[in-house]
Amino acid sequence: MTDTAPLPQRDPQLDIGTAPMRPTERIGSDEHTHELTKVVPRPPVAPHTNAHLAYGQSSDVGMIRSNNQDSNYVFVSASRSGDAFPQFGIFMVADGMGGHSDGELASATVVRVSASNLLQKVYLPIINKTDISDRVPMSEALDEAFQAAHRVLIEDVPTGGTTLTAAVLMGNLAHVAHVGDSRIYLVNEEKIEKLSRDHSYVQRLIELNELDPSQAENHPQKSVLYRALGLSEQLDVDVMTRRVSSGSYLLICSDGLWGLVSDEELRSITLRYPPQQACDTLVSLANQRGGTDNITVVIVYIP
Amino acid sequence: MSDTRKFDPNQKEVPDVGLQVDMLLMNRYKIIGVLGGGGMGTVFQARDTHFPEAKRLVAIKEMITPLTNDPAQQQSMLRTFQREANILASLSHAAVPKIYDYFSTEARAYLVMEYINGNDLDALLARTRSLPVQRVVEWAIELCDVLDYLHNIKPQPVIFRDVKPANIMIDSLGKVRLIDFGIAKIFEGDKKHTMIGTEGYSAPEQYRGDVNPRSDIYGLGATLHHVLTRKDPRVEPPFSFHERPVIKFNPAVPQNLIAVIDKALQQRVEDRYATCSEMRQELERVRASGLFSSSADTGMVNPAAMPTPAAPAAPAPAKPKTAPQMQAAPRTDYLDESGSSAVVQARWRFKTEDEIRASPTIFRNVVFVGSYDSNLWAVNAEDGKLVWKLPTGAGIASSPTVDPSTKLVFFGSEDNIIYAADVNSGQVAWTYHTRDKIRASPRVAHNHVFIGSDDGKLYALVAQTGRYLWTFEAGSPIRTRPFVTNELVIFGADDGAIYGIELSGKRKWAIRAKRAVNSSPYVDPKENICFIGSFDGYLYALDASNGYTLWRFRSAAPILSSPVVSDETVYIGATDGKFFAINTSSGKERWQTELPKPIVASPVVHGSFVYIGCTDGAFYCFDTKTGKQVWKFQTNGQITSTPYVENNLLVFGSLDQYLYALPVS
Repeated sequence: MTDTAPLPQRDPQLDIGTAPMRPTERIGSDEHTHELTKVVPRPPVAPHTNAHLAYGQSSDVGMIRSNNQDSNYVFVSASRSGDAFPQFGIFMVADGMGGHSDGELASATVVRVSASNLLQKVYLPIINKTDISDRVPMSEALDEAFQAAHRVLIEDVPTGGTTLTAAVLMGNLAHVAHVGDSRIYLVNEEKIEKLSRDHSYVQRLIELNELDPSQAENHPQKSVLYRALGLSEQLDVDVMTRRVSSGSYLLICSDGLWGLVSDEELRSITLRYPPQQACDTLVSLANQRGGTDNITVVIVYIP
Repeated sequence: MSDTRKFDPNQKEVPDVGLQVDMLLMNRYKIIGVLGGGGMGTVFQARDTHFPEAKRLVAIKEMITPLTNDPAQQQSMLRTFQREANILASLSHAAVPKIYDYFSTEARAYLVMEYINGNDLDALLARTRSLPVQRVVEWAIELCDVLDYLHNIKPQPVIFRDVKPANIMIDSLGKVRLIDFGIAKIFEGDKKHTMIGTEGYSAPEQYRGDVNPRSDIYGLGATLHHVLTRKDPRVEPPFSFHERPVIKFNPAVPQNLIAVIDKALQQRVEDRYATCSEMRQELERVRASGLFSSSADTGMVNPAAMPTPAAPAAPAPAKPKTAPQMQAAPRTDYLDESGSSAVVQARWRFKTEDEIRASPTIFRNVVFVGSYDSNLWAVNAEDGKLVWKLPTGAGIASSPTVDPSTKLVFFGSEDNIIYAADVNSGQVAWTYHTRDKIRASPRVAHNHVFIGSDDGKLYALVAQTGRYLWTFEAGSPIRTRPFVTNELVIFGADDGAIYGIELSGKRKWAIRAKRAVNSSPYVDPKENICFIGSFDGYLYALDASNGYTLWRFRSAAPILSSPVVSDETVYIGATDGKFFAINTSSGKERWQTELPKPIVASPVVHGSFVYIGCTDGAFYCFDTKTGKQVWKFQTNGQITSTPYVENNLLVFGSLDQYLYALPVS
């Protein structure tokens, strides 16, 4: 049938035929009744500054290990033109595993392959102004990028595996793809929210109420993953989309950081410093606390 | 085996001089083809030329010893392979392949085994739509038998460790054969990011490197669960079988079999069957109980197609002009765990003079609905009594909308006209003529009415007066109800285009689905994501600000139903009868259920329930969390109308000409 569930209308007061358009405010409401249109003055936003997204990144071998098996990647496109391209960025952290140099190779491989894939399937169509009907849906592009990285990894580094957490920021939507136990957080003044789910054995036990989160810290299987790139033939990628409001941050990190620095500390340091300084501060903090693993963090400020 | 490559990091450097087709191995075995990858190498099919007359086929497993610099590793792999050979050589069971020969050359080792003509269960799953429950039980019994045999080998029990469909062959006689005894998973739980192999079938203790006979019981349970539900555990989180109850995916499975599988899949080793022979006895009891239908080839049965004994057939002839006839439909039996008989009774029903295809709306205790009898009906929501009716020149397939500020109700008619009528009197306030039939429904926002027409235009008119503001030329009939946000008017057209139009009437974006879009968009205000279905079978999630596709969800049939979003879940029906609940941010299915006939109506969510009508004539209520059917209500015509809920009253129309009002909590 050609209609949706009927929507109640609320107090429309504005005649767009006679008055210039003014912004309206959506009213989020209870249950299934939704939206719409109570007219309010435009909220006080800064006049159009040329604000652009800012990022920081930092990666360190830590205090114990001899090599850094983490990789990270950032691509940012910012422009101002009549084309009005949306702000765009690709941000990734991968935490490799495997003997000798396999871990390093694994994380480097997946970051390189998936970034190349995303640039081709997502970024170039934007800058080429490809008709949106001909573009690959974002979630499929992310999934394909991960699958491609997974295939190359199996081929090139058969004894290596890696986590991979990626965010593609386009306009004010963050598209997140994730496999493994690196993490991505959304940080703002109110809270820090973990967007990813650790694919670790311990996390699974917690989800099943078989393990108290407090016991997780010292659990012997703390680092055992049940999902990673390069691990098994089939790869299931968690993909999700979130609208991120102006003034918030995305933080992506390997377990070398989140294992030693609490969520609340991640939040306060992210908010306190510019992104690069925040990244450096977080890495130092993890090192002060033992630096038991490689530490990698990427922070993105959304203007 | 998926982990073949893990054992041989340097394989690429080895010049490939392994077995090839047509090669003669040991001057005896002529290689015919490749059967597949095994735990540690490739498995070939070969013919034993020592039996020139008999055409004896064998399987030859080849292990390439890696040319690593680590002789210890090399030795360890060779030992593992030899172990497989030795294990197999010492075994004698109908379900275990016989071993004929073992030998090694410089860099390779070979195991010559009985060739099993058949399919592994993985292949069978891929090739079939359903497997008879009775046969699955037979296989399970045979598997228990062979596992029990292995577990009782002296002096050391053999633990198979890798029970999964790919390792279970069904031979040409229909008998179970276990293949691939080559696994040697090494669990090093305390090492950083240890690889733990194929997840899904392995028991929890295996993740800790602790393997015992009851791990095989878990693997068997996991295998049975996969075969019966067709839900591949490899793509699900570990140990999540209980989240996918067998009955939900395959109601043909009797309760006693489900109990066996549940027990085999217990997290804790001690909660499972103590031995395979114990499990086997239980399975034999299941077999003896004969609870699966004798026409055993039912396999997967569409739950909704199950007989619903309590569903009324054609009800008694309606008593016209008297108190509305109540019709109640108890819950479907097998869904009813509590044994309670939840019955929903209509508060009232109201008969129009032709089919009700479109959807009602409620404003101040009055229900408005258009009928194909060409009238717009206004009915008292309390008692179902007529308030007024407004005749038009043709059938009404448009769903009315009320503008609370002007107290006008808007709708279109197949007489090409857009009507605005006073909600209290039914008096026409204004009309607007388009150039073709109107089958789309209006939306009121920003003091304007937005409505499409079969003439290919979207009209924006001033709500109060009907004054023309602008039209947007889509070039193809518009039958969707536009969704209006603060910035855009979004709608779909019959040529598959989905448009985002600025409030000024200027096109902001357009995206083309592969086929017609008759599903109306829904924009989630929080995320500003637009959901819309198409005849091409996809539900699209678009960035409402630019039309870019975030994800698309594929259904097997055209989608005419319009999505609705609640609690980060989007609900939509498809014309194959499937009803889906999909995660809004990931596009992944939360649950699905299947109704007996196509769904063209749209759902509505109220409280913790989602409601939808179906062309089987029934109106359904499902639990939003689980997709479990709570009740259904039978009408005598197809339901294409979308319900409207207000003040715990739910109203919808049916092609049986009635407008129904049901109480909801």
